[in-house]
Amino acid sequence: MENFIKKFIEEATDLINALEESVLSLEDRPEDKELINEVFRIMHSLKGSGAMFGFDKISDFTHNMENIYDEVRNSEKQITKKLLDITLHSVDHLRNLLNVNIAESKEVVQKHEELNRKIEEFLKSGRTEKQKTDTRINQQTTITSGEQFASYYIFFEPNSDIFDNGANPLYTVDDLYELGECKVFARTEKIPHLGKYDYSTCYIYWEIILQTSLDIYEIEDVFMFVEDDCKLKIQKISDTKIINNKNIIDALSKETKIDISKLKSFVTDIVVDNIVDEEKKVSDKIKKFKQESEITSIRIATEKIDQYINLVSELVSAHASLKLFSTKINNSELNEIAENIGNITEEIRDNAFNISLIPIENTIVRFRRLVRDLSAGFGKNIEFVTEGTDTRIDKTLLQIITEPLMHIIRNCVDHGIEKENERIALGKPPKGKIFLRAYHSGSNVHIEVSDDGKGIDINKVTKKAVERGLINFNVVLSKEDVKNMIFTPGFSTTDKVSDISGRGVGMDILKRKIAEARGDIDIDFEKNKGTKITLKIPITLAMIDGLLVKIGESLYIVQLMAISKITDIFYSELKKTKKNVAVIDGEQIPFYFMREEFEISGEYPEENKFLAIKYKNKNVGLVFDSVVGEYQTVLKSIGKLYKDHEMIAGATILGDGTVALVLDTNKLITKFSDKGQQRIRN
Amino acid sequence: MKEKQTYLTFVLGNEIFAADIRKATNIIEVLPITKVPRSPEYMKGVINVRGIVLPVIDTRMKFGMSPIKITKNTVIINFNIDIEGEQSDVGALVDAPGTVIDISDKDISPPPHIGAKYKSELVIGTFKIKDDFIMLLDINKVFTLDELLEIKI
Repeated sequence: MENFIKKFIEEATDLINALEESVLSLEDRPEDKELINEVFRIMHSLKGSGAMFGFDKISDFTHNMENIYDEVRNSEKQITKKLLDITLHSVDHLRNLLNVNIAESKEVVQKHEELNRKIEEFLKSGRTEKQKTDTRINQQTTITSGEQFASYYIFFEPNSDIFDNGANPLYTVDDLYELGECKVFARTEKIPHLGKYDYSTCYIYWEIILQTSLDIYEIEDVFMFVEDDCKLKIQKISDTKIINNKNIIDALSKETKIDISKLKSFVTDIVVDNIVDEEKKVSDKIKKFKQESEITSIRIATEKIDQYINLVSELVSAHASLKLFSTKINNSELNEIAENIGNITEEIRDNAFNISLIPIENTIVRFRRLVRDLSAGFGKNIEFVTEGTDTRIDKTLLQIITEPLMHIIRNCVDHGIEKENERIALGKPPKGKIFLRAYHSGSNVHIEVSDDGKGIDINKVTKKAVERGLINFNVVLSKEDVKNMIFTPGFSTTDKVSDISGRGVGMDILKRKIAEARGDIDIDFEKNKGTKITLKIPITLAMIDGLLVKIGESLYIVQLMAISKITDIFYSELKKTKKNVAVIDGEQIPFYFMREEFEISGEYPEENKFLAIKYKNKNVGLVFDSVVGEYQTVLKSIGKLYKDHEMIAGATILGDGTVALVLDTNKLITKFSDKGQQRIRN
Repeated sequence: MKEKQTYLTFVLGNEIFAADIRKATNIIEVLPITKVPRSPEYMKGVINVRGIVLPVIDTRMKFGMSPIKITKNTVIINFNIDIEGEQSDVGALVDAPGTVIDISDKDISPPPHIGAKYKSELVIGTFKIKDDFIMLLDINKVFTLDELLEIKI
């Protein structure tokens, strides 16, 4: 059961996310029937599965929401801002209800009552004088004479394994009673001899005559959850009430799987055209449903993917050894086989990594919501436009960057985009725009967030920097300087602290967070034109674009993105420098001898490689013996025992099967410089 | 009631130790070890075991003996241990692998209380097979405590 609940929570979370997205889209296109149907459908699914897994509050709650959208669907109510507000609050509330840790807390319970009240009020309000008899609210359908009735024959045969999904077909049959008057014939002839009886198999099927004032879609809705797990046939046999037609009832009592035309023959007043019509509609709908329900994706536990990736990287290194061996043997046939396997291996590797990626779309909905709520809070008029949301990225990375992105967008709304009157005064369109664009660039994903707001005022930044004592008052800052300044800890140009962005998270903290994902952050701006922030994130943490470098016999990998330049330099020249600061291309760069820092014995070669590494907007040099070449590789953890070893980001397996360490240059330099400072203090 | 438990024995210097065999996943020949800079000396580095990077520890040094000398008998035992609630693999360099033995709980004596301070924590008990005196280790504790350990008899 626990497994079922876990699965339910996963599925419900997806449903709620989809719900939120649909509701937000409804805001732009309130007339869109598809969207309204979607919202209704999701509420209905949540209600059903919620009840099935004991989330009674969810099912209660969605029940009322479903009723509202049912009325909207039937054009009895209109999509209004008020309704969308209530629905969005409900989305949040549903998330809380799903979280077992807080579902019973005082706040959530209070919210539950408050929202339920609002929904009920809303349901009562604006109801047309026609007074719809809602079958879901009134368990007993009051049958008024004026209504149109029709009779249906329903054949319902659950698949024998239906119990495996936790479904109880009896409940489904019960639901039919809510639609109108039924005669149900349970067919039990398939139940085997007790000795062969298997408790987990469903042997029963049903034939049902239902007379109702509702249309065939309402009947289909009853079977929504079991549609995939049963044989189902719903056919209209008459446009009148026939439940008391003795001939039909007799026939069904005697015969099973009865021929529908026979049933129809008992009814004299059928409108033939109508039936054909209804049947066609049903088959169209089933066709459509089949298309929709065709499984286009499956859910896989992340550990399984990790395992798969592990195996694939094993394959990659196994192939590398094969290649080494075949080169040694130099047999043309073997070479060909090795090459062939190599090509396939590469494809499998790319494919495996692709599987572990998810589109950033999954988080975009939350941003859309954020912009909506925040701009309302600030009294601003802002539209949020996205592009390339199908760009895929590793799940863990997406998690890491979601919060920084949230802060960036928050900043756009709070500090970037001006109020409507200010915008009009500046001759800008009154509606502000935040544009999020994602795309691939090599082995990185770039995510740009730009706004058409006030941008950054260099003079203002200069003033602030003088106040903070960061620069002298007579210094003129260039745009580049300002860009660097923005990422300095504790620097913020906001005049007042707003309660939504709060103190705001400084750009320096964002930068650090992005560095956690081995990424980089960039800013560009123009006064009164807007600001653009670009995040550059590797597609996956599992792959690394690196440079293979050597000290003595030891090989290390440095992340390519961290390197700003590579220079040949003589050891004797480096040895002459004061305080380990070299001048490369006119730039003063402090540096460290890696051989020394890593305590590797042996002589320095005369010619060294000087890697200038980007560190806190400056360059810091790391001196290695030599550079072997570029190396794209799989990053592996070196295990928990080395958990305090921050300067090693991980390890990778080289072609000959040995392990090379991947250096985290950022943390490494921090560590080296800390030690340097200690040395001075001592 | 489990009457007998299975243990894997191994040799360090002149001593024989035993560990719960369920913790040992693999015995590996000594492969080229990549040293991790700036790590304690007993942490020898990492090796590649079929695509997985395994940290290797000099078990002799961990127990306060002289550093291991690699001979043709030296092996790495892959133990699966629990570090802060997560399963993690560690390779233990030992002088020689021993055998797999079944011991009844009743044949295990409590650890002697003489000697080093870590003893009672790390040694679950002792038992004798023929003339050999074998110390039964809590392998999880052995590899999760950061300090070097002293086990003396």
